[in-house]
Amino acid sequence: MDKKKMKILVVVDIVILVALVIILMTLKGGYEEQARRTANEQETAYLEKNTQVLVEQWRAVDQYSMAWKLVHTVLSGVKSEAAFGPALAAIEADKDARFKQVSHLYTGAGINDNVQNGIYQKAGLAEGSILLKNEKNSKEVACGKGCVVKFSYAKGKLTNVDFSGLVQFNLANSLKIEKPAEYHFE
Amino acid sequence: MNLKNISIALTVLVFGVIAMLFMQKGNYVNQAKEHYDATTAKSFKGNSMVLELVNNAIDMNKATWAIACEGLQTAKSSQDMAKLEAKFFPATKGSMSITNKTRRFEASSANVIVSTFGKVEENKKTGVKSLVDLQSVDVSVLLGKVAPVVEEVSDEEGAEE
Repeated sequence: MDKKKMKILVVVDIVILVALVIILMTLKGGYEEQARRTANEQETAYLEKNTQVLVEQWRAVDQYSMAWKLVHTVLSGVKSEAAFGPALAAIEADKDARFKQVSHLYTGAGINDNVQNGIYQKAGLAEGSILLKNEKNSKEVACGKGCVVKFSYAKGKLTNVDFSGLVQFNLANSLKIEKPAEYHFE
Repeated sequence: MNLKNISIALTVLVFGVIAMLFMQKGNYVNQAKEHYDATTAKSFKGNSMVLELVNNAIDMNKATWAIACEGLQTAKSSQDMAKLEAKFFPATKGSMSITNKTRRFEASSANVIVSTFGKVEENKKTGVKSLVDLQSVDVSVLLGKVAPVVEEVSDEEGAEE
C-alpha cells in the first residue's frame, strides 16, 4: 500500500473509532438502564402474582374456618332455623376470632408470624358474607374456592347439615404457584 | 512503515471496539437475568412451601373438624366417637377419662377436640365402661383459643375397644 492510502486508512480508522466510542458510551447507559428496569418490572410482576396466590389461600382458609365454626355452632346450639342467621352474623362479625382461627392453622402448618403478618397485611380477611343462599328450609354458605355447605330445615328445625364440601376441601387443585417465566430483555 | 503499523493497530482497535459493542449488551442482559432468576426462584420456593404446608395442615384440620361435627350429628357414645376417629385417622386413637366423662382426640398439638358425655355406662357382661349421651364437643383448640387442659391419660383408657 502506498503512503497516501495508509493515511486515508488511518483517518478513516480514527473517525470510525471516535464514532464507535460515542455509540458505546450512549448505548452503555441505555442497556444498563433497560436491563435494570426490565428485570425489576418482571420481578415485581412475578412476585405480585405469586403473593396473590397466598392472599387467595388466606382468604379461602378464612371462609373455610368460618364455615366449620358455623357447622359446629349450628350442631351444638338450639338447632332452630331462627338461630342460623344470628349464629352466622356473630361468626362473621368477630374478626379477631377469625384471624385467630386462620392464624392457628398457619402456625400449626409451621408458618411463622412474620410470614403470616405479611400475607395478612395484603389479604386482610375474606370480604363479604359467606352466605350464598338464604331460603326457607334451605341455607347455603361458601367455604372457600368452590366449597359449599348446605343446611336443611323443616318446620323451623334443623334436619341435616351437609358439610361434605368441607371434608373434601382441597386447595391444591385450585391454587398453584407458577414457575417464573424466562427473563426477557426487551 | 511507521504509518503502516499505526494503521494496522487502529484497524485492530476498531474491530476490538465493535466486538465490545456487541458484548456489553450481553453482559447487562446476563447480569439482569441472574438477578431476576435469583429473586424469582427465591419467591417461587418460599411461596410454594407456604402453599403446600398450609394445604397439608388443612388436610389434618378438616379431618379433625369432621370428627367433631360428624360426632355432634351422629355419635351417641364414646364408641361412636372412636369409630369416627378411626375413619379419619386410622393410626391415632383418642383417650378417655371416665372420671371427667370426656374423650380427648389429638391428631396433632394444633388439632385437638374434647367430647363431653353425660353418663358412664358399664357393660354388665364384660365390666367395660364407656361413655354415653354425647353432650358437646369442645373445639377451642381448633379455633385457636387457649388449649384445653391436657387431661391425664385415663383410667380405663380405650376401655370400649
